[in-house]
Amino acid sequence: MSLDYVKFSNGFEKFMPKEYRDMVEHGPFGKKVTVSQMGSFKEVLEEHPMCAGCAMTLFIRLAMIAFPNPEDTITVGTAGCGRLAISQAAIPFVYGNYGDQNGVASGLSRGLRLRFGDKPKDVVVMAGDGGTADIGFQQVLHSWFRKERFTTIMLDNEVYGNTGGQESGMTNRGAVLKMAPLGKKFEKMDMLQMAKVAGCAYVATVVPNNPRRVESVIKKAVLIAREVGSTYIQAYTSCNIEYAIPTDKVMEDAKTVENDRYQFTEYVSEEAKQYLTERYGYKEFLAKPAAPAAAIPGKA
Amino acid sequence: MYLVADINVEICAAKSCKLCTQYCPEANTIQYSEELGKDKGFKYGSAYVAVDRCKGCAQCVWVCDNMAKNYAIKMIMIDQLPKAALTENITYGEKSTTAVLASPVVG
Repeated sequence: MSLDYVKFSNGFEKFMPKEYRDMVEHGPFGKKVTVSQMGSFKEVLEEHPMCAGCAMTLFIRLAMIAFPNPEDTITVGTAGCGRLAISQAAIPFVYGNYGDQNGVASGLSRGLRLRFGDKPKDVVVMAGDGGTADIGFQQVLHSWFRKERFTTIMLDNEVYGNTGGQESGMTNRGAVLKMAPLGKKFEKMDMLQMAKVAGCAYVATVVPNNPRRVESVIKKAVLIAREVGSTYIQAYTSCNIEYAIPTDKVMEDAKTVENDRYQFTEYVSEEAKQYLTERYGYKEFLAKPAAPAAAIPGKA
Repeated sequence: MYLVADINVEICAAKSCKLCTQYCPEANTIQYSEELGKDKGFKYGSAYVAVDRCKGCAQCVWVCDNMAKNYAIKMIMIDQLPKAALTENITYGEKSTTAVLASPVVG
């Protein structure tokens, strides 16, 4: 929880594995790194057992690069594919019981504020669509209504991918899956609207085929959650196994889905806009200067 | 044997778009080296693949062919690569990495 935990203990440097030495010497801790520098520094995410070509992994990789202070961040997760990669990173990871990740994160975030006061310690929940919208739904909504100050990220693959392909609340109507052969009979849950109703200060949808946008959205969400209130990001991260997408076509699918039903949307509350502008120098929320008055013909 | 991505340094160093480094789902698998291209007289560096981490999904091939339109990445059987980068031979620098290429198949 500080730069001290990514240092060598005296005398142990030569015994540490190469990956650990690279992380201490060339990792992102204490520096500012961006997605355009990817491939030239050691990332906090390590090798993980997720499927080849998984878009969720790409999103998690981008998210970990986007954290404003990775050394002061704790991730919270729950059962689901995502935790296989999130737990393989040089960032502390708390694994809740299925569905209680937002309850765990509420306590953690309050405890960190008591212990560290004003020093920002970010708590980021990353859970699947089942963990967020089905089994963890009650705790997710209550944490938003209580305006708990942490970020919730839904890794929406529109299926229970880890257990063989059952339909989830976020599956689209009519989708036929291995364990839902009759097709889903209900609409996809509108979690974005629910997040707004519950009072989240920042709500966004994103697809990982635009790394810079993923980076910008996650930075804003984590910064706003430090002081203003709950933030929610819904990311489309296709399951290429359950939806039978060839691995080399995963980004093509992401592009199609982005154009079809996952357009980029961003809601920022007025308080959050003011906070980002005043505290972190964001210029995109400043009032645009009024357009110059049209020249009146005949006047000099 | 299995397929891994292989990047043509000459095409890559001429463009150096770095898109594949941002779209690979595996961390520190497609790396960037200034020296790889400059050694061959190009202005920019080139991306290369740490083959021991590559899972062979070919997402980088789609990105290189369809987004960057460079057609620099091909999938190749690992025993047909004469020399490749392995994680243990990669050193990190300030803005780039350096890889000592070695035979990916031992024995």
